[in-house]
Amino acid sequence: MSDSGHFDPDPAVSRRALVVGAAAGLAGGTLSTMLEARRAPAQPRGTNLRILTWSHFVPAYDAWLDDFARKWGEKNGVRVRIDHIPHLELPARWAAEFAAGAGHDLIQFAGQIFTGQYYRHLLDLSDVATGLEKKYEKWMENAKTAAQVKGVWYGIPDYFITIPVLWRKDLFDSVSVPEPKTWEDLRKAARLLKAKGHPTGMQFSHCNDANHNWRALMYSFGVKETDPAGETTALDSKEMRESLKFAKAMFDEGMTPEVFSWDDASDNRFLASGVGCWIHDAISAFLTTKDTNPAVFQHTYVVPEVAGPGGLKWNVGEPNVWAIWKFGRNPQAAKDFIVYLTDNQKEAMQASRGYNMPFLRKHYTKPMPGLGNDPKLAVLQEQDRITAFFGYPGPMSPPAQEVLTTFVVPDMFTRVARGADLEATMKWGLGEIRRIYSKHKAG
Amino acid sequence: MTGSARGAPSPGAVGVAVAGRAGARSWWRTPTARRYVFGYSLLAPAVLYVGLLVGVPFVFSLYLAVSDAAVGEPVARFVGLENFASILESTTFYVALRNTLVFTVGAGILKGLLGTTLAFLLVQPFRGRRVVRALVVIPFTLPIAISVLGWKWMFDSQFSVLNWALSRVGLIGAYGSADWPVWLGQPHLALLSVMFVNVWRGFPFGAIVLLAGMTSVAPEILEAAKVDGASFLQRFRKIIVPMIAPILFIGTAFDTVFTLSDLSIVYLLTNGGPDGATEILPTLAYNTGIRAGALGRGAAISLFLFPLLLPAMVLLLRTLRRRQY
Repeated sequence: MSDSGHFDPDPAVSRRALVVGAAAGLAGGTLSTMLEARRAPAQPRGTNLRILTWSHFVPAYDAWLDDFARKWGEKNGVRVRIDHIPHLELPARWAAEFAAGAGHDLIQFAGQIFTGQYYRHLLDLSDVATGLEKKYEKWMENAKTAAQVKGVWYGIPDYFITIPVLWRKDLFDSVSVPEPKTWEDLRKAARLLKAKGHPTGMQFSHCNDANHNWRALMYSFGVKETDPAGETTALDSKEMRESLKFAKAMFDEGMTPEVFSWDDASDNRFLASGVGCWIHDAISAFLTTKDTNPAVFQHTYVVPEVAGPGGLKWNVGEPNVWAIWKFGRNPQAAKDFIVYLTDNQKEAMQASRGYNMPFLRKHYTKPMPGLGNDPKLAVLQEQDRITAFFGYPGPMSPPAQEVLTTFVVPDMFTRVARGADLEATMKWGLGEIRRIYSKHKAG
Repeated sequence: MTGSARGAPSPGAVGVAVAGRAGARSWWRTPTARRYVFGYSLLAPAVLYVGLLVGVPFVFSLYLAVSDAAVGEPVARFVGLENFASILESTTFYVALRNTLVFTVGAGILKGLLGTTLAFLLVQPFRGRRVVRALVVIPFTLPIAISVLGWKWMFDSQFSVLNWALSRVGLIGAYGSADWPVWLGQPHLALLSVMFVNVWRGFPFGAIVLLAGMTSVAPEILEAAKVDGASFLQRFRKIIVPMIAPILFIGTAFDTVFTLSDLSIVYLLTNGGPDGATEILPTLAYNTGIRAGALGRGAAISLFLFPLLLPAMVLLLRTLRRRQY
């Protein structure tokens, strides 16, 4: 610029050099700001959001979620990509992402809860959890066992899958057994109906259903898997012995040996085939029967859970929890998406056909989507009050997860059902569990 | 070789060093040195490849096995042999070890017998031999997840096509009767079933390996033996086996490694259940190390495969080397 005030371009600076210089200055300025802040810009607009979740048992839900996320992304200028993979493959994927320090911006712990394993590398989401609680009343008490470590929210509970009792009213009527209210009622019905070619079944095998079904029985019998802090096992109890004895009797009287080979879908087929008098499974077993065997569907009813001898009633659900890696590139967009999804919980629950049970009390306002308008499923609208998760009453800690994935509890039930000595089984199971707990580092 | 040895006249240290450097430089220019360099250069990619893909993971798993590494903790403490001690306290481990041995040896023997039989059948001239040869390798070429899921259906406790066929021909009772087999539910039957699927998948590979060896045996030798009155078994034992021994050894080595480390079949069919009846070391290691996140103990479990494999491999390779010389 000249002294005279009018613009006098320096002939040594070309137009190209000026553009390059300006661009470099802008980039350098942005970079220096980012470096000063020691973090990537977190504004959602014009960014990417990669989400890792499981392949839902209700395929329509996955389609809905993909579309929902895409629309949200379009509205907010975020390119969203959701990867759905089988839930059993998720732990290997999280481990790989953690080792690489790169991966999805938002991950979901599905059934297998690794909040305790990864919390040091997850964002503190207490602000999101508190905000949602203000909007939608209280979190379910047991939600904390899945998403909190030492009182800090490192995950945001999304939904849990409930596992009620699905029973055949026509068959129960035929042996004059009313709607089951207790485990004893279920045992009685199975005993009477097995003689008529309609046994019952719960998995005595290495699958998810075996893990949560036998825990439902245990917890309803008053068994506590750990102390409230989740530090040590509390299975060495009279209640545990009673639940094992009861399971043995129920197997002998009301089941056939096929339950030793069952996977998660076997009981669905067992009910749909018209053979089973009752099963303990997610409502997908009930809903699919509508298509596969309408006659059975017509006579199948749902009970939220049955009570143990002391009147206790605990359903054991499968929780799904969102978490954000500290190395995630777009934490703000990830948080915004969680909040937006929770805001639209009713739509999500409808898309899952009532499968996705919410963690927040206000979402239990009746009629609940997918449940409230169905006379048989409407009974599930208070499920948050009777649901616990593995490790109860302690958190879903790393040792609790190892006890779960190595199937120690179902194996204890299997041994007793096959005739093994009860005390020998207790000694074996407690030995395995104590060894696992002793190996995990404190904290 | 020292500088003085190469004839440097100065007795001083500097003189020795200078002469040494000169000697080394001149050695590098010799044809022998060039041959070494050339040879090692050709070998280097293979060494690098094996080192990176086998050596590094192996050393890393050794490191994990003596640490308290977990999936969410990048910095692990050295714990010595604690993980191994903990595993040895677990009865589940002994069950898995026993099953692994039964699975590997049993499946290996069955694959050997069936593979040999199939190879002898396929070496005979008959119409459509090429088509049949192509068809028998199908189990080996199918994606393992798909074929195992197919078997899962065939072993289903309620809808098993095998049971329905057996029931139809009157060999077993109807569904729900006491003699209705629960393939994946009865302990011995479950182990036999997972072994059977491994055999079904693996024996065509054995047959093809054997077939490749058998076709390399000159027919004149076999004809001559026949003329001399050698029976079929004598020809097989005294002529075919010795001539194709290197191929057999390599095939056996491959099959042993694949069977011992086979995770997919058991994982997809039973996941080690019921009550550990089909638990093998790979499933126990995977469920402990990855699904439970206890990397240290998972690695220690998987390393128990190493002392099992090492003697077998050493024996096979030494026998093979002796035969080559």
